[in-house]
Amino acid sequence: MNLAHLAPLAVLLPILGAALAFTLIRHPRAQRAVSVTVLSLTLTLESLLLASSWDGGTTAVRLGAWFPPFGIVMVVDAFSSLMLVVSSAVSLCVLIYASAQGASESGYDGPVSIFHPSYLILIAGVSNAFLSGDLFNLYVGFEILLTASYVLMTLGGTEQRIRAGVTYVVVSVVSSLLFLIAIAMIYASTGTVNMADLAGKLAQLDPGIQTLLHVMLLVAFGIKAAVFPLSFWLPDSYPTAPAPVTAVFAGLLTKVGVYAMVRTETLLFPGDTLNQPLMIVALLTMVVGILGAVAQNDIKRLLSFTLVSHIGYMVFGLALGSAAGLGAAVFYVAHHITIQTSLFLVAGLIELRAGSSSLDRLGGLGKLSPLLAVLFFVPAMNLAGIPPFSGFLGKLGLLQAGVAQGTGLAMVLVVGGVLASLLTLLAIARVWNRAFWRTTDDAEDPAPELLATGAAARRLMPRGMVAPTAALVVFGVALTVFAGPLFGVADRSAAQMLNRDAYIHAVLGQQAVVPAVPGAPAAEGGAR
Amino acid sequence: MILVLCSLFAVAALAPVFFAGMGRNAFYVLAAAPAAAFVWLIFQYPAAYGQGLTEHVDWIPELQLDLTFRMDPLSWVMCLLVLGVGALVLAYCARYFKDKDANLGSFGAQLLAFAGAMFGLVTADDLILMFVFWELTTILSYLLIGYARARISARRSALTALIVTTAGGLTMLIGLIMLAQLTGTSRVSGLLERAPALLAAHDGAAMAALNVAVVLVLVGAITKSALVPFHFWLPGAMAAPTPVSAYLHAAAMVKAGIYLVARLAPGLSGADSWLPVILTLGLATMLVGGYRALRQKDIKLILAFGTVSQLGFLTMVVGLGTPEAALAGLGLLLAHGLFKAALFLVVGIIDHQTGTRDVGKLSGVFRSSRALGVVAVVAAASMAGIPPLAGFVAKESVFTAFVEWAGEAGHAPWGPVVLAGMVLGSILTFAYSARFIWGAFAMKPGVPPTPFKPIRFSFLAAPALLAVLSVVYGVWPAPVDSWIQPYAALFAAGAPGDAGGHGGTSAGHLELWHGVTPALGLTAVTFLVGSLLVWGRDAVSRFQSSLPKIPEADKAYQNVIGALDDVAVWVTGRTQRGSLFFYLVVILAVAVAVPVGVLLWNGKPIPSKLYWIDPGSPLQWLIGLGIVVGAFGAVKANKRFMAVLFVSVTGYGMALIFALQSAPDLALTQMLVETVALVAFVLAMRRLPPELRDRTGGRYRVIRVVLGLAFGAAMVVFALFAADARVATPISLDFPKLAYEQGGGLNVVNVTLVDLRAWDTFGEISVLALAATGVASLIFVRSIGHSLGRSAGVETGSVGRVAKQPTGSLAAAALATARRFGASPSTVGGVRRNPWLVAGRTLAPERRSILFEVVTRLIFHTMVVFSVYLLFAGHNLPGGGFAGGLMAGMALTIRYLAGGRFELAEALRMSPGLVLGLGLALAAVSGLAPFLLGGNVFQAAILHFTLPVFGDVKFVTSTFFDIGVYLVVIGLVLDVLRGFGAQIDVELEEESEVAAR
Repeated sequence: MNLAHLAPLAVLLPILGAALAFTLIRHPRAQRAVSVTVLSLTLTLESLLLASSWDGGTTAVRLGAWFPPFGIVMVVDAFSSLMLVVSSAVSLCVLIYASAQGASESGYDGPVSIFHPSYLILIAGVSNAFLSGDLFNLYVGFEILLTASYVLMTLGGTEQRIRAGVTYVVVSVVSSLLFLIAIAMIYASTGTVNMADLAGKLAQLDPGIQTLLHVMLLVAFGIKAAVFPLSFWLPDSYPTAPAPVTAVFAGLLTKVGVYAMVRTETLLFPGDTLNQPLMIVALLTMVVGILGAVAQNDIKRLLSFTLVSHIGYMVFGLALGSAAGLGAAVFYVAHHITIQTSLFLVAGLIELRAGSSSLDRLGGLGKLSPLLAVLFFVPAMNLAGIPPFSGFLGKLGLLQAGVAQGTGLAMVLVVGGVLASLLTLLAIARVWNRAFWRTTDDAEDPAPELLATGAAARRLMPRGMVAPTAALVVFGVALTVFAGPLFGVADRSAAQMLNRDAYIHAVLGQQAVVPAVPGAPAAEGGAR
Repeated sequence: MILVLCSLFAVAALAPVFFAGMGRNAFYVLAAAPAAAFVWLIFQYPAAYGQGLTEHVDWIPELQLDLTFRMDPLSWVMCLLVLGVGALVLAYCARYFKDKDANLGSFGAQLLAFAGAMFGLVTADDLILMFVFWELTTILSYLLIGYARARISARRSALTALIVTTAGGLTMLIGLIMLAQLTGTSRVSGLLERAPALLAAHDGAAMAALNVAVVLVLVGAITKSALVPFHFWLPGAMAAPTPVSAYLHAAAMVKAGIYLVARLAPGLSGADSWLPVILTLGLATMLVGGYRALRQKDIKLILAFGTVSQLGFLTMVVGLGTPEAALAGLGLLLAHGLFKAALFLVVGIIDHQTGTRDVGKLSGVFRSSRALGVVAVVAAASMAGIPPLAGFVAKESVFTAFVEWAGEAGHAPWGPVVLAGMVLGSILTFAYSARFIWGAFAMKPGVPPTPFKPIRFSFLAAPALLAVLSVVYGVWPAPVDSWIQPYAALFAAGAPGDAGGHGGTSAGHLELWHGVTPALGLTAVTFLVGSLLVWGRDAVSRFQSSLPKIPEADKAYQNVIGALDDVAVWVTGRTQRGSLFFYLVVILAVAVAVPVGVLLWNGKPIPSKLYWIDPGSPLQWLIGLGIVVGAFGAVKANKRFMAVLFVSVTGYGMALIFALQSAPDLALTQMLVETVALVAFVLAMRRLPPELRDRTGGRYRVIRVVLGLAFGAAMVVFALFAADARVATPISLDFPKLAYEQGGGLNVVNVTLVDLRAWDTFGEISVLALAATGVASLIFVRSIGHSLGRSAGVETGSVGRVAKQPTGSLAAAALATARRFGASPSTVGGVRRNPWLVAGRTLAPERRSILFEVVTRLIFHTMVVFSVYLLFAGHNLPGGGFAGGLMAGMALTIRYLAGGRFELAEALRMSPGLVLGLGLALAAVSGLAPFLLGGNVFQAAILHFTLPVFGDVKFVTSTFFDIGVYLVVIGLVLDVLRGFGAQIDVELEEESEVAAR
């Protein structure tokens, strides 16, 4: 049996786990056991999916055995399975971290009791979005993960979280609404929502209408991915959530938006119609985002801005429209999920150890906890794109692709990318200088935790939280060590997406016609 | 090479362990690593000078980034310096630092790792790989400068060095990528082979790109080697411990830029942009550095600015691109490494033994330690270019090379200017060398001799050895000469490096005595004028302070960073308003403007064949109008309750439209949803202020109105365009047939929901379950128990009692009667029975409605049965799990409204979480089961069988899934009732009790 047919389980298992967790709402330990088991199983399963598509195999799984374009299909290819594995690995670490934190913070009936089901459903939604080969089902995937995120965002119901939650929920609902309207419009003009089918039918539409539908989808996804100027909501909402929640949001949710943009650009609307506007948007996202980070004084807010800024890199790679650019963007997504999440987890540890995440109130952490310093420094340098880390490698791929393109705009983007990289380093190094290097005496109004010593200080660094953070940092380093094969699969997936044959044939059968990409020489082998 | 590199890093990684066990003597262990590598290097001489030693491991072929290393003469010479000085400096550290320093472990690791990175940098044969090591040295330098982290100056200098060199490094990266793409290879060796051909081709566009790339790469070299205008980071970096300064900021890291120039010169010195950059900035740096060195009061800073000056000097020589200059350049590079490292180590000793580096405080140090003085004088003399030392030998050949170059036709008038500048720079060098010796060692009038602790030999060993080497090199330059000759030969006429066409046939030789040459004359001038400067040093100093202060690059950098921060704050303040309204305006404006822009750009006319209303159903007019009124009403309403009612008008209107469009199923569901939502709203609203603040007024009223109307209008227009553009038939036309033939149901909507697109529904019920718990979690966030408890123990008529009794009048009498009525339960067999609703008795009499209770009693079971009917009939008739669940939920709602929260607990004794969990689990299992049986997930089967009463039954397995849906919906309603209903009841009662007290 083709292992790819296991794909639906990547969604089913977490939801089944969530169902169990609901019934176990009064048994936090059992809940934890269920969710860790389920996520580990899911990760194993997704690794099998990745193995099946490693060399470029693309499989469509028909849900309910209905044939496309009528029923819903899932499509397992290199890109989707890579995203699945990375996101599940990351979310497993976050889950363990959160469980440890929850165990130390609150008892029964606290927010923890709904944390586990919400978290599992979030993962189910993310997985569904990655796997979906159906535009409406992609919407459902988004709904699942968004609803879960609403719950997680407001865990504990503090005033600050509710306020940030309102911003987040309203913006997300608007984005969902725009997505839904766009789907309605697309259905109105094509009469289908199956993405492979859409690839053929959209191509038959008037080019102006194609572009109309194209931008409507992009605007909807742009909000989710936090692309300038649709990104302002993010730094106002993410940092207030509990640390592990922020971490997993930062790692996964925006990337789902990016993923959707990549699929839209490559499968539904190939060609270079919007590449130039997208490049400008990428540039602004990178630069405006990182300026925000430079202006911040709080680690979590600062990281939220680097998150926005680095989304720009992914859009950059996508907008180049070349296999090299797209491959680098795919690699960068995998890298960024891991690294941004690690940093938010570390920020959570800092907050715990020092009682604050405001740089003014931090100092001496390098001396107080060398382990914490290492855990911060490695992913921080990685984020700042310091070689040989994966952040550098992804950026290198993007810059190479940009230089290869050679147009004026591409070169401007290359310069913008380098500038954003430098400013990321500046922002991160300032954190290092203040939080880790200077002494605690220099901290203004240090929290009592920062001044704790001995056993009290050790209790502030629970092993259950440090271990998963360390694991994630190591995973991030592994992305560097195994960058060769990883870049290989990223490049293959990019080539595959740009070609579209494999996807469309897997879904609609070998005889399906793959429409030519506008503006490109006719694709060979429509019907093999 | 890879093995050597890995061993260096491995020992570095283990460093903290050594320090934990051995204290500062662990530095000797660390020093052994580069020392061993040095020995290894000596044995590689034949290979490096023969074929060249190459090692290669694939890393990321997609990026043309592989681990390719190559040892050739240039690398070999650089390695001598890197490993040799590295070993000596590490050994020196063992006496420089104190045992009790807690940070020694990481410091030692970083210093050794730096040696490794430097080794990698000079042996990498891949442009990008070289950049990897380049940036590693930058980061390690940052960490090492920040060793004295408690001092703000150290932290700030470290950051400055990091940012400046990384800025240059990233610029260089762009240049390197361009070079690699222009030449089609990222191999350094390959690049150097191909670049001359590219230069010779004179292809306009490629040439321009090449020149740009060259400048970008040189920017990297310039920042790393601290050339003007980026020189300011280097004196700041002197905040590092002195061994670090000696190694990184004199001997090794700052030489990386020089190395890069030397490495690329054979291929690229012919590019038009090469020489102007190299010579201008090199010369400027040499003069600025020398001039400022003369002004310093800190002996370490004298050396720092001296280093800046020498780096400018070196860049010019190495970058010139003639065989003589290449020979002289590497010769000078080695000489500089020897004397400058020695001098820094001497400074470290002085600082360590006296506690000061101030020229004004140091006095009589020479008398205290003659050995140290001799070492310093030898090294400084080498720096000043005095024979018979290394500095002299190197400088002689530099002058020789430049005299020849400046004399060539085609280099006038700039050739002589450069030469003159160089001589001036050398004069300054002579002067500050003397100033250093004077400042550090001389007996100064009026200053008492500085107390000086005696030094151990082991402390002095490293600088002494370096000084000895300076002498040996000077007296016997032949070995050095032979090491460099193969590199210089790259520039000889006819060699690939001779792209500029100015190569001579021979590079000459490094020699102590060249005979009487113009170079010797220039040296004589240098000594003469230099001595004058030393002799008249007070006058020079006065002259320097009388000059207006030149604006310092350091200030410029601070201003740039300050401006950057201002811009960052400004931009962030503009975009990050913290206002949801602002964010929504931006989002909606984009959502309207961009698609409208697309339509206008494409010049689309409005579709002609549009119709506004279904001609077959004129009632749509009326309903449509109602919806519009509802929408406007919701906007204008000033009471929250009214707004909600108006919103539900639009919802019911939609339900009617569905009904008119022959979609009874949708209509039914929509009606039920509206009703449940309305109940939820009303229950929740009890905790909200009744008045809505004036949302329609305010400053932004116009924006709100315009944007709202524009969004609505735009979506209508888009819909017209989209519907008009359709070319294919929609897939939904096939749904009825599919639903019947394969789905086994007549109700297309239901078959679609539970079978065709069951996956969507499955996702959506998880959303429902989650939304329910999410809401509940917010409401129960502060309460201890989730459980409502049973009604048995509750005092009769106690729930929801109106605390303040109306006094007098008819109302009081009526209330008293009601209390009496309600408070007399009929007791049968000791068990309290309530004739109508089990928990009705718990309610305060004034909250009860007999009529409502009666009606509830009558219709509750009917509704539940009906909901089950809807559930099972759904496959063929309007209904289904969703509608059924809502119906059951409505039944529960009525029980709650009539009988209060304990009645709700009696009606369904399961926790909502359990109901939701069971429903979700059933749905998931019904999806999973077919898969486990070998089919597809959610694949349905149609079963035919005969039951005694029902006769032939056609059962579709997707019904199990629908039952799951049914349960989830019930759970949702239950959660809403318990949250918005019961829990808010409790809170309101508690508050009114508190208020009554």
